[in-house]
Amino acid sequence: MSDASNIEQSIRALFAEVYGTQNAGAPAPELKDETVLLETGLDSLGFAILVTRLEEELDYDPFSLSTEAYYPRTFREFVDFYVANQPA
Amino acid sequence: MTLLDHIGGMRPDNVALVGGWGRQDYGDLAARAGALRERLSPTGLRVFLNLSDLSEALVALAALDGIVDAVVLSSPSLDEATLCTLAGVSADAIITDRTDLHGSDLPVLRDPAELAGLRSAPETCSTRWIMTTSGTTGRPKLVEHSLESLSRTTRKDRARGTGQVWGLLYDYTRFAGLQVVLQSLLSGARLVVPEADSPLDDRLALLSAEGCTHLSATPTLWRKILMSRAVDGLALRQVTLGGEIADDAVLRALARSFPEARISHIFASTEAGVGFSVTDGKAGFPESYLTDPPQGISLKVEDGRLFVHNDRVGPAYVGGGDIACDGWVDTGDLVARRGGRIVFLGRGSGVINVGGDKVVPEEVETVLLTHPEVHMARVYAKTNPIMGALVAADVHPEPGSDPTQLRASLRDWCAARLDRHKVPAVFRMVDQFRTNAAGKIERSN
Repeated sequence: MSDASNIEQSIRALFAEVYGTQNAGAPAPELKDETVLLETGLDSLGFAILVTRLEEELDYDPFSLSTEAYYPRTFREFVDFYVANQPA
Repeated sequence: MTLLDHIGGMRPDNVALVGGWGRQDYGDLAARAGALRERLSPTGLRVFLNLSDLSEALVALAALDGIVDAVVLSSPSLDEATLCTLAGVSADAIITDRTDLHGSDLPVLRDPAELAGLRSAPETCSTRWIMTTSGTTGRPKLVEHSLESLSRTTRKDRARGTGQVWGLLYDYTRFAGLQVVLQSLLSGARLVVPEADSPLDDRLALLSAEGCTHLSATPTLWRKILMSRAVDGLALRQVTLGGEIADDAVLRALARSFPEARISHIFASTEAGVGFSVTDGKAGFPESYLTDPPQGISLKVEDGRLFVHNDRVGPAYVGGGDIACDGWVDTGDLVARRGGRIVFLGRGSGVINVGGDKVVPEEVETVLLTHPEVHMARVYAKTNPIMGALVAADVHPEPGSDPTQLRASLRDWCAARLDRHKVPAVFRMVDQFRTNAAGKIERSN
């Protein structure tokens, strides 16, 4: 199990990178706990790419591991979802 | 029954449509269509409709259904050249509200009433409804239907329909969109039509404000809806998924967000006509459907592909090309048996469906192969929980390439040459590819 702050760091770093590649190099907006991810300027395709890049980096996809029926909406929910659904 | 018979049979003061143009009740629609029909007489004309305004389109459709040989429904998003080509092989006149049509040899009419001035042999006929396919790998194709074939699974129970409010998130000229329009109109329900190019949150806010109870969307759009704030305002009784593979996760998430709703995922295609719906909340469909046809629609699996039997769709595309063989339509979908269910694996053509946008792998491979450091490349679908699939690429680099630098370089290379959804999200560096006897890269994973 990775600790929560490492996972959060990976998410922040890859979010910034994917945001830049999907928005012509524009700097990523600040992520607060309550930031709604799809309102940051990253669209569903960008969000999908972020999830795929995270799978490469963290070696798991919480969406396929989770038994919860849930799509995280805010940044905090997204981080918590990755922390809660790590492979056993 | 013609479309006008259906609309004219509803309570005239019930609202039929709500949209940017305001509210239209069934009485308005029937009166406008009836007035137009009076100015026309039965004719053997084939009419190509290209109208961005759904209200205008419905008036024209209701007026023409039953008195012309064919109506062709086409998307307002078609480019001029494609539109002219399609109309050229399928129609005698174009009715449109766009102003950029100059390349057609056919009469281009602003007002459907002008059809009265066109010559044709009079005919009494039942009108063919011609739909366009998405045209993934080239020009859209034209498929012949009828109002009867398009509405055969439509529930026409007015007692129930009157209390229903449908939302339209699709292009009404495409198969899934027309199903929503017909389901709403033929049961006397109300149809709310948000502006197609407004932001999703605004469209959902309108649906909430209008008390939308029934909504159909692709799995990708549903995931987006579930991740938006606007979802909280929706109180749905029917949730329908179509157009892409519905996975267990999205079905479960919808059941959780809309506990009161019946959730169905629909298998349908323009060529097969409406297929069947699955309401047990699980991905794929029960294996028993193969022996016990759902809604009377026979299915079979051959060589891992799903075939649908449909005797009401024309056997060939308008303008040429076979659709069905002995009534069996090859859906092009690859399927497999898993635990008593038939699940969808993707398209037999290898075409990748990225949230509804189609990607032909060869196009991406061609771009990759022009990169100076790429020796060989193979492009395929990678399952994604948000968009259904993303594009992935295996690359055999030229000797001496640095993998990290090459990944970044390939991303830029593709981004400069391809639409965003076609750029591979994942690049895997490999040492070799399996090739088949003909020396081609094997496509199966």
